Amino acid sequence: MKNKFSLLKEILIILSISIVLGFTVNAISPKGIPLIGSYGDRFAIDSSKSKNSDSFKQRGKLNKAGFYQPVNIPGEVAKQMFDEKIKFIDGREPHEFKEGHIKGAINIDYKEFKNKTKEEKLEILKNFPKEDIIISYCGSDSCEVSIDNAYEMAKIGYNDMKIYLGGYKDWKKLNYPTEK
Amino acid sequence: MNFLSNKYLLIVLRLIVGGFFVYASLDKLLNQEAFARAIYNYKFLPDIFINIQAIVMPYAELVAGILLIIGIFKRGSSLIISIMLIIFLIALTQAYYRGLDISCGCFSLETVSQKSDIIQRIIEDIFLLIASLIIFFKSKLILNNNNNNKETLQ
Repeated sequence: MKNKFSLLKEILIILSISIVLGFTVNAISPKGIPLIGSYGDRFAIDSSKSKNSDSFKQRGKLNKAGFYQPVNIPGEVAKQMFDEKIKFIDGREPHEFKEGHIKGAINIDYKEFKNKTKEEKLEILKNFPKEDIIISYCGSDSCEVSIDNAYEMAKIGYNDMKIYLGGYKDWKKLNYPTEK
Repeated sequence: MNFLSNKYLLIVLRLIVGGFFVYASLDKLLNQEAFARAIYNYKFLPDIFINIQAIVMPYAELVAGILLIIGIFKRGSSLIISIMLIIFLIALTQAYYRGLDISCGCFSLETVSQKSDIIQRIIEDIFLLIASLIIFFKSKLILNNNNNNKETLQ
């Protein structure tokens, strides 16, 4: 019995230290996160009824970090924007991009892109005016590089980023134009 | 049985398991938001618990790992680590079968996992779990066999 009790004590002490350390550091750190995250916001397909691209042409909210948040768009809206010659960037790796991508899209491999300096990033994106709407996508809604690229670009001054979460998988399903 | 009770074996196992967990915790401690997203991708927990897990779990790994290395609270830390490993194994396995595209969130938070990476992680975790359980059960027995009062307080 004494053994069981001291085991419980050990566990409680370890967990208490972890909880105290965790919450304290989180509260102090500039990189701290809220106790309850809103995953709906970042990951959900936009649930507004409109399928008209005009209603998605608004910029996202200006958030506390000082940049405009990317806006999620559904497939039909992405297509309307495609027809308006709006540019797409594909966040996947080059070999995935080569196997098939949205017609006219440019490959920006997030894994390489994120390590670049701000100047290098802007150099890569020099053909993309900052005031333009740009759509970021990747393979599907299971991968995140669409979101990651959009936020990276928003942080360096691209104020009108859209995220097409459905990605290449959804685009192909809807039989929209692709190329290799 | 004698081999498993060998105190040198136990020291080695403690260093391996403890060291592994300290190492694994560091990237998560420094990148809580990315770790929270990695947890989200396993689609295993309800959304409201995700951030709390992202905040507390890396510290539990760190603290338990350090305690295991220095040899204090061996049973408590090895039990906590064993439970975490069981949870990881369940999460990894269900992610594998559901075909989820996850960033493993194990070491580097940036590595996107292929299915083969997941299998590798599962195998590694099974070995760690076995090691951790050996530490747990054998530490307890050493205490029982030892009549030294100071040790039973641990």
